[in-house]
Amino acid sequence: MEAQKREIKRKLRQLQSLPTLPPVVSRLTKLIGDENTTALQIAEVIEKDQVLTSKVLKMVNSAFYGFPKRISTVSSAIVLLGFNVIRTLVLTASIFEMMQSEDLGLWEHSLGVAAASGILAQHLELKNQEEVATAGLLHDLGKVVIRAEFPHFYKQILRLVEQEKLSFLEAEKQILGMYHGEIGEFLVRRWNLPERLVEPIAFHHEVEKARKYKKETAIIHLADIIIRALGYGNGGDPWVPGLQDKAWRWLGLDRKDLEELLPLLDERLLELRFFTLEIQGLGFA
Amino acid sequence: MPKICLLLKEKRPAWVELFEKEGLEVCCDYRLPEAIDNILSQPPDLLIIEYELSPELVYDLLIALKTTLYLPFLPVLLVLSATEFQLDWERYPVDDFFSPDILPPELLARVHLAFARARRLADNNPLTGLPGNTSILKYIQDKLDKGEEIAIGYVDLDNFKPFNDRYGFARGDEILRALARILTNVVRTYAGDQGFVGHIGGDDFVFVCPLPKAEKIAQEIIDHFDQVVPNFLDEEDLLKGCFISEDRQGRTCRFPLPSVSIAIVPNRQGRYKHYGEISAVAAQIKKYVKQIPGSTYLLDRRKAKN
Repeated sequence: MEAQKREIKRKLRQLQSLPTLPPVVSRLTKLIGDENTTALQIAEVIEKDQVLTSKVLKMVNSAFYGFPKRISTVSSAIVLLGFNVIRTLVLTASIFEMMQSEDLGLWEHSLGVAAASGILAQHLELKNQEEVATAGLLHDLGKVVIRAEFPHFYKQILRLVEQEKLSFLEAEKQILGMYHGEIGEFLVRRWNLPERLVEPIAFHHEVEKARKYKKETAIIHLADIIIRALGYGNGGDPWVPGLQDKAWRWLGLDRKDLEELLPLLDERLLELRFFTLEIQGLGFA
Repeated sequence: MPKICLLLKEKRPAWVELFEKEGLEVCCDYRLPEAIDNILSQPPDLLIIEYELSPELVYDLLIALKTTLYLPFLPVLLVLSATEFQLDWERYPVDDFFSPDILPPELLARVHLAFARARRLADNNPLTGLPGNTSILKYIQDKLDKGEEIAIGYVDLDNFKPFNDRYGFARGDEILRALARILTNVVRTYAGDQGFVGHIGGDDFVFVCPLPKAEKIAQEIIDHFDQVVPNFLDEEDLLKGCFISEDRQGRTCRFPLPSVSIAIVPNRQGRYKHYGEISAVAAQIKKYVKQIPGSTYLLDRRKAKN
């Protein structure tokens, strides 16, 4: 298993770019082709895709620009990179050659977690709500990596989930010797993403490991559970992970808070449906 | 008209003709002392010099031009025969070289490339890569000479010194780089080729754009800066909405979070003739902008006296 972990990390170090969903890219390409498109409209679409968001953040946090590990939101990245750089980034984005229904499911799951994280951050009156939503969007980046870079292992994991009724996470550990949190962490650290994004991505299944960004990590942990419980998108298996005591305590929420928040979330998810339906339509047309 | 100076071992009327056809002013003294005298008293815009002429002298001349005369960006092209390619390139402050039997189209291409590169590098600020004072002055003076209706915006950060004291110079540099990116992107978006951004030094920047775009650009710079600045602050200061540092007298004070001030000087109907007038007016306006808390801009709307 250790040798396999080393091999996985070796491959991650060489990773150039992650593919994303073809319809998202084609929608962006269309936007960019239109002279009247504003940076804000482009940001709105990029913010709905974990791969493109990570790509933009990787670029703006690269040494060349001179402020590594600082920028954690797409809107800031666009302001700093400028329209031309964003344009080039989008036009050179790679896409999945074969889009599978799981790809779309994971994409929707991430979008849902981003929405739920944003709503929780707002309710808790955190200063950096947009950033927490971004962390929510990126939390399962490791799963995209497994799907795109290790398709063989990915199939084995899915088979194990189905046959042994294991959680996706348990199956990852059995097949890979590591799981998507560790893989995501390894990559976003290499890409100089800010620590406030790294911790939630790395520890949303092990909140006790969070050091500086406990609340943010706990929010993503809870958002993940809520979105899975609502059956929005697909996180890789049909089970809902357990809520960790520590996370619940750090957030200081009670049942009444949730009763207040869930209708807000429903509304937001309904809005997102329009977008995801459009993307689905584009994908299978 | 850009002046190109040839310092060669033998007469090359073909080259002179070639450059003159391109609309360049050519100077070529074939007697070395005169040539050097001329170059040092009236530096050209580009120098082509032949190594074989006198290796030591060529070296001394280059050092004089590039360091003593503060012309580090004067492009120098060295004519070098194939047997001399082993030069110590660390020692020779030249920008390019070619062999004496170069074909005319290549020679022209290299000269134009050297000009373009010099324009690009000019006196760019090492921190932000933006053009520095010489380019700023040249650009603005050129626009004034043409009587164009432009606006010149002077941008600086409020309380940058205490910010540096609180967060350290590295973080201060990061904010300056971010501001440089914002200025470049916004001016590019709204003014395209008609816009210009320069870095005067420290936290002082300048932009130039067509007059009707000035306020839109200033407002967008402010919006973008205010949007990005939280990325550079620590959580505790963000929550407090201020930071604690020392003022110029060494007293501990509360300072508001970093913001930008922009003083805009419009050149209506060719009102100004010299760059100096612009910077004097800017200094007056800046005094007012600086008194307003938060990120703001102010456009000078006073009428001309005459």
